Amino acid sequence: MDAVTYPEERVGTFIQETMVPLRIKFDTQPFSTNFNIKWTPTLIALDAEGKEHHRVVGFLPPEELIPSLLLAIAKCSFDQEQFSSALSAMERILAEYPKSDSAPEALFLRGVARYKTTHNPTPLKEAYEQLHTQYPTSEWTKRAYPYRLL
Amino acid sequence: METKIKWESEMSHALARARKEGKYVLLDFFNLG
Repeated sequence: MDAVTYPEERVGTFIQETMVPLRIKFDTQPFSTNFNIKWTPTLIALDAEGKEHHRVVGFLPPEELIPSLLLAIAKCSFDQEQFSSALSAMERILAEYPKSDSAPEALFLRGVARYKTTHNPTPLKEAYEQLHTQYPTSEWTKRAYPYRLL
Repeated sequence: METKIKWESEMSHALARARKEGKYVLLDFFNLG
């Protein structure tokens, strides 16, 4: 990450502007034990109370790290029922990084967030249909499979 | 052009900043070796 991803200007700018970056050596206690760190790099998104909402283990190239962090922001917001913020982050993934590995999960989660804000099941069915069309081999397409019946 | 990331090194400082700035924390467990 230090050799390839973090030095990229777009990555550094994104991290500085959207998150609070914190680096801790992998064996630092009590964090290593509390977060069950077994491999590096491990990237974790925390809310302001220190609660984990998203985790990635292993190297990510620049074109995957930014959408992964947007997904992290979306999941932090979603878990805190801040659906408007969550939807904004997911829309950005789908608009700017549709070919990223984070896009199918963002599409799935967008459907769920829209359902939770409207109580209308149509967004769930739309999420499945879009996943089936755009990401037919994704695990998120499989997870959305029941929604085709809505 | 490189944008140097200004990493926090203390959890308490990072969480305080997150509360103040309305952001989430990116926690990177790293290994220098």
